[in-house]
Amino acid sequence: MSGEAVSNNARQQWLPSWLSSEHPFPWLFPASALMIVFGVYPLVYAIWLSLERKHPVTRKLTFAPTYNWGKLLGDERVWNALANTFIYTGIALVLQLVLGMLIALLLDSDRKGYGLLRAMMTLPLVIPPSVTAMMFLLMLNGSFGVLTRGIIALGLLPPGYSVLGQSSTAMAGVLLAEVWQWTPFMVLIMLAGLRSLPKEPFEAAAIDGATAIQAFLKLTLPMMSKVIAIAVLIRGIDLFRAFDYVKVMTDSGPGTATETLTSYAGRIYFGNADFPYASTIALLTLIVVIVVSSLFMKIFKVKL
Amino acid sequence: MSFKDYDKKTFIADSARDFAARRISKREFLKKIGMAGVGLSAFNVALLGNTRRDRGFTLGSDAMAQDAEVNKWLKDVSTPFKGTKIRYTSEATPPTVVLDKLKGEFTEATGIEVEIEIVPLEQVLAKATQDVQGQLGSYDIYYLDQSWVATFSQDTIDPIAYYKDKPDLAMPGMDWDDFSKPLVEGLAMYDGHWVGIPFDIPIMTTMYRKDILEKHKIAPPNTPEEFLAAVRMITEAEKANGMFGTGLQAKSGHYSLECDWTQVVWNEGGSIFGPDKKFKGNDEAAVRGLQYYQELLKNAPPESTNSTWDGQWQMGASGQVALINSWDEFFPGWDAADSKVKGLWEAKRPIRGKVYRTPAEAGFGEIPNAGHQGGSILGLSKYSKNLDAAWIFMQWACSKDIMTRCTLGGGFAPMRLSSFSDPRVKAKEVVGPGTTRHLPVVKEIIDNDMASEPDMPLWAGFSNNEIPVNLGKLLTGQDFGGDAKKCMDTIAAAIDAAVADAGL
Repeated sequence: MSGEAVSNNARQQWLPSWLSSEHPFPWLFPASALMIVFGVYPLVYAIWLSLERKHPVTRKLTFAPTYNWGKLLGDERVWNALANTFIYTGIALVLQLVLGMLIALLLDSDRKGYGLLRAMMTLPLVIPPSVTAMMFLLMLNGSFGVLTRGIIALGLLPPGYSVLGQSSTAMAGVLLAEVWQWTPFMVLIMLAGLRSLPKEPFEAAAIDGATAIQAFLKLTLPMMSKVIAIAVLIRGIDLFRAFDYVKVMTDSGPGTATETLTSYAGRIYFGNADFPYASTIALLTLIVVIVVSSLFMKIFKVKL
Repeated sequence: MSFKDYDKKTFIADSARDFAARRISKREFLKKIGMAGVGLSAFNVALLGNTRRDRGFTLGSDAMAQDAEVNKWLKDVSTPFKGTKIRYTSEATPPTVVLDKLKGEFTEATGIEVEIEIVPLEQVLAKATQDVQGQLGSYDIYYLDQSWVATFSQDTIDPIAYYKDKPDLAMPGMDWDDFSKPLVEGLAMYDGHWVGIPFDIPIMTTMYRKDILEKHKIAPPNTPEEFLAAVRMITEAEKANGMFGTGLQAKSGHYSLECDWTQVVWNEGGSIFGPDKKFKGNDEAAVRGLQYYQELLKNAPPESTNSTWDGQWQMGASGQVALINSWDEFFPGWDAADSKVKGLWEAKRPIRGKVYRTPAEAGFGEIPNAGHQGGSILGLSKYSKNLDAAWIFMQWACSKDIMTRCTLGGGFAPMRLSSFSDPRVKAKEVVGPGTTRHLPVVKEIIDNDMASEPDMPLWAGFSNNEIPVNLGKLLTGQDFGGDAKKCMDTIAAAIDAAVADAGL
């Protein structure tokens, strides 16, 4: 027996079997550790916080498992924020999906220049959302905003109207920034799907005399359904955590007109310093996301 | 989203807001978002435009040289702390911005590095709250707005006591009696002790465009009624020219709206709390105050409901408004070298209501009067890991020399009586960058009209959430159908329940 083989045998006897390279543990440990530290621990901590009650003056935490959850159920602003979150997510998703598909269909061509156009679609995505929000905040300013002035010039709004300063239009203003920035993401996903579709069914449909709309409805859409479902799922989860645009453009206002679950949790956490209650709202967000996305995946048979 | 993520996102958002509001330069903005892990292409950078100048800050003249005696003391006392780094976070108030520029002198003399994180007010509160909750000591000094003083009173060291307890670190000539007494009482004290050292005193002042008032033959208003009449007249006459009577800091959910509201309540003879510790914002006088504010809003640029103090200052700077009852700190910026309205604004004692409640008729140490103070203090953190180094810096930052130089640099109101009478400050009582021509009026207001919000531990939350959010709902038509009483009843119910729950 060579010296090296003896040494390996000795090491194997010294190490417990679950630390040997044949065992999955050493290979799973780094990823698991990261997940525990950055995923599981914060989640467990948030759950623990949600079961505590913070005294507003002494700041002492006492165990009160039903206090925050009971408060949450009776808090009108939570339900308003939940409704706003669904409205925000729903409208943004529909607009981004429809516009994304339309633009993708327009750009799905091999003609000269289209490659450049497709590349340009990534430009809005590289701007930080907060900077985009700031741009739109300025463009929608009632006094000097270029967009507001344009809308006023068209006679759609009275002079000096503050889109973000009125509860009836603030949500639309915030959605404008959201849709502008993230529609290109949908375009890119749809383009990837469109360009991977087989040509034969379309050629057969053309020979059979199908119109472009018929081909789109009977072939493109069904064949793209999985891609669309994945895109909706990814964007939907992201939209549900809407924060940047709301924070910068309206800070959840006017009143609570644009308050979403995450922005409300932020206000309670940092404004009122009520960490347990803010954690409870954050957990509610997580629960809603899990339930809605699971339902979506079941209904549309999405497998990840 | 994790809260770390929240912090990062708000940091980027706040930096963008600061850049747009000209509080930081393009270079600083790029540095900040670079720190947050965000990259910008050359295209994006080009979109950001050119660096703009600060609002009338003037540094670098001979009058701004570091005092030799102070320098010597700093060198002697700081030897054991060389290489220490102290941190604090603050809003971009004029004194902080100037101090940030002067801090290099301190570092040069002491070897103590000072990092001042300049972020918007709500972020300052968030960071301080996190620090005290975990007793982390991440910040050695807290910048505390007057509305948070009670909340953080248990987390700071009384500077007077520390000055006596640590004679070896005590700055010679600190002269505590030089701090304006109304400021100390209204701003820095809670429960009979100093929570920190007064650092900043924006105070509500009536400011008006002399040229516009003369054009319409209107005398500068002295009462809320005269103010409203003048505002209505100007709006009617000038609206076609893009000018409104007044501008407001009525951003829903923001502390600025709460400040505006408090002042109109006081001016109508109301108060926020009564001696029974019940919320009085829904009584007859207070509701009258809010109705008055609703009238003002009709005569203000619509963007008022999306503006904080920055937006209100902009309205004055861009010639959109003729009368403002707001922070005196706006004034030097309007006189800046590149200002469109240079020399056109004048300041006077604030409009006065017929009668004000006495502190005994209000609650939680509230002082109703005509001049809402929005000051701040610097508090020495109990949890600081560099306590003595931070204490040396605090004394230096609040010393006669530095406070006077901060005033000279930015033209804002000083904390110290000696700064008001300093010949260098007097010499700048002329139109121009860093003007101090409004300071004689500000001194009168501090001495005669100063009003203060309640001192209570829950006030930071009420004044940043419950009150301004519901006011925002009312003023932007989201709820209450324009009924001020209904809005205030809703706020009263929430606040009374929270006060009772806290056992105050």
